[in-house]
Amino acid sequence: MADGETILIVDQITKRYGSHLVLDNVSFHLHSGEVICIVGENGAGKSTLIKILSGAVKPDSGKINIKGKTYAELHPRQSMQLGIATIYQDVELIDSLTVADNIFLGNETMNRFPFIVDANSQFEKSRRILQTLHIDIDEKALVESLSAAQKQNLQIAKAFHQDARVLIMDEPTSSLGVEEKRSLIRLIEDLKKRGLGIIYISHYLEEIFEIGDTILILKDGKQVGIYPREDVDINFVINKMVGRDAAMFFKRESVPLGEVQVKIKNISWGNIVKDVSFDVRAGEIFGIGGLVGSGRSELAACIFGMARKDNGEIIINGKAVQIQNPRDAIKNKICLITEDRKKYALFEPMNVQDNIVILNTELKSKALLNLEEEKRISRKIIDRLHIVVNNVEESVMNLSGGNQQKTVLGRWLLMDAVLFIFDEPTKGVDIGAKEEIYKLIVELAREGKSIIMISSDMPELLSMSDRIGIMRDGQLIKIMENHNISEQTLIHDFIGI
Amino acid sequence: MANTMTNKILRAQWFMLLIVIIAISVVTGLINPRFFRLANIINIFEQIATLGVVASGATILIISGNFDISVGAIIGLTASVMAIMIKASVPIWIVVLCGISIAIICDLFVGVTSIVFKAPSFITSLASSSIFSGIALAITSATLQTIFGKFSFIGSTRVFGVVPLMFIIGIAVYLVVHFILKFTRFGRRVYAVGSNSQAAYLSGINVNASKLLFFIINGLLSGIAAIMLLSRIGAAGASTGAGIELQAIGAVVIGGTPISGGKGGIFGTFLGVFLMGLISNSLNMLQATPYLQNLATGALIILAVGVSALSRRNSKTSL
Repeated sequence: MADGETILIVDQITKRYGSHLVLDNVSFHLHSGEVICIVGENGAGKSTLIKILSGAVKPDSGKINIKGKTYAELHPRQSMQLGIATIYQDVELIDSLTVADNIFLGNETMNRFPFIVDANSQFEKSRRILQTLHIDIDEKALVESLSAAQKQNLQIAKAFHQDARVLIMDEPTSSLGVEEKRSLIRLIEDLKKRGLGIIYISHYLEEIFEIGDTILILKDGKQVGIYPREDVDINFVINKMVGRDAAMFFKRESVPLGEVQVKIKNISWGNIVKDVSFDVRAGEIFGIGGLVGSGRSELAACIFGMARKDNGEIIINGKAVQIQNPRDAIKNKICLITEDRKKYALFEPMNVQDNIVILNTELKSKALLNLEEEKRISRKIIDRLHIVVNNVEESVMNLSGGNQQKTVLGRWLLMDAVLFIFDEPTKGVDIGAKEEIYKLIVELAREGKSIIMISSDMPELLSMSDRIGIMRDGQLIKIMENHNISEQTLIHDFIGI
Repeated sequence: MANTMTNKILRAQWFMLLIVIIAISVVTGLINPRFFRLANIINIFEQIATLGVVASGATILIISGNFDISVGAIIGLTASVMAIMIKASVPIWIVVLCGISIAIICDLFVGVTSIVFKAPSFITSLASSSIFSGIALAITSATLQTIFGKFSFIGSTRVFGVVPLMFIIGIAVYLVVHFILKFTRFGRRVYAVGSNSQAAYLSGINVNASKLLFFIINGLLSGIAAIMLLSRIGAAGASTGAGIELQAIGAVVIGGTPISGGKGGIFGTFLGVFLMGLISNSLNMLQATPYLQNLATGALIILAVGVSALSRRNSKTSL
């Protein structure tokens, strides 16, 4: 299939964030009529690669060759003009306009009067484009009335209309039903015949084997290999995606487990979390794995009162606790260290001390602050967690990801919690800080806390957890003792093949 | 360490303001020595006292990520009602109590509509502004309610024969708001909610209740401002206080509190308000046309925004 002309050459693209190498010499050729699937775990560098191609991120080194010209970096507009179109979920469309208006947005067809858009001609042309691509959408419909799948198709039609040569799709099927998936795959086949090159990213490996011509595997930013689909099978790909050296794993100390301290019973929330139950003992780290979108974070949100669960009970030390909102959760000694620091945890305009003591001031019933005490306890936390900071009055925005995460952790250490829920505790954190955070979690376990750790990082899940629960489609499908589980087994369970 | 301290001071907006204030004072004083007379300086403070009270409320709201552009209308309505009551010979303490209550209820309305309809307070206060002015116009039949000096003691009292009571009220409000912002848990919530209301909620802060309190305080301060204005002018109508909210927001921005919230303080606002009063006074002293005053205020706000943007960029590149 790779016999079409070469339309895009990615040559030794490298990108680092600080000391962290996100992409290390990634190179491939994309031919007309070819679908290249990029696979890898979370954090393997897939999204960074897409962002570089769509112009959102600048690479540190390497070249991109398109339409016979070589570029060291692309700007978003330039990338579009060169015929690279990225299909995102749901964005980039204007809900209040019609399908045809959206296709022609930015290069409207004018009629003989100046400034007047020729709506009829646009409808006519849109109908033809949609028919050509066998997309069944009414060109006069408002975008807000379309389903997620239809919006996606519309984006593809728009890219097609704009003469895109390279189409990038990032997890296009993650919110589609079975039938919609089929029609998307048919559409991709059609686009291939028309000579477009497609870069396709998906967690779902079966899908990749269905539509991919070439499979590019990334692991921790490195290009593990690029293979014609015929030459490989799912197990081969999985082995290449994971399979790390033992050196990559953190070796934690074991901690004696106590009695069952926290019981989560039959938690359900709409269609997203379905009847999840499990226990966590004192000193136990209960890992939860699964794909993004499997309902892990939403489960945490239900336990912490961020989401109003429909059903279910939370029992702490034998007592059922009522949790309507985060304040209730905090009062019942539950804490949640969220995945998205920036959005849910950091007070960016405020300094490190204020960020650390925020819970402490909330929990105390005193109306007046004790600034001396605040300074003292925040210094203590800074020392205990080795937060690298000039002084307590430094703005948190100036800290590195790892130090920001430690600042957030420090906040929760000040309350005497029973249950700690960590959602991706080391996301966007450098290796050194990662290890310190692991040590801290183990220390908490030693103090007899119960810990729920949600993670997409397999070495993390395997090296830290006492038991691992796996979530798929909102259900906790199995709980395993963490003995001799391989990364391969886990991935199989995550995707259900 | 000492070096970073000096840098920090040099980069702080209040330091810039102080330099501008000193520069303007020196130039004006050199041209017109009357500027430095105690009477003139006290005069400046007296003139900006009301704006200071309104700007103090605006500071709390803006740090918390909120806005209230209905303050002018609230003052108009409150002052009108009080003037009508005074004309009807209602005892002063009841008048004052009613005035403050009305102002608080008005601001609560802005806050509640913002929370219930999940709309930015900017919009709900814009709408409320029309409602309040409409009510004020209706009850005054769009006429000025003159009270013939029956309520002038606040505006005319001089403590120890020199210091105007207005000035003392103004300073007291600054101090109280400063205390609240820096030393109370409530003040911490102002910053937390303004920094990241989601994170505040997840830290156990009742964000909606806190927000209502911010508006109640702003209402209280608007009420006080209405009392001060009524006492000084001796008459009130729907347009009393019109535009003061925008001046106040301007002063807050000049003082270095970003519109995006989460940061800032009352000291900057104090300097911002002072600078506004100073410019108006200087232009008078220099016998410049009064129209220049609007121009100068506008230029000053743009300048302040520019300075903040520059120092933000500097602090980013210095990483």
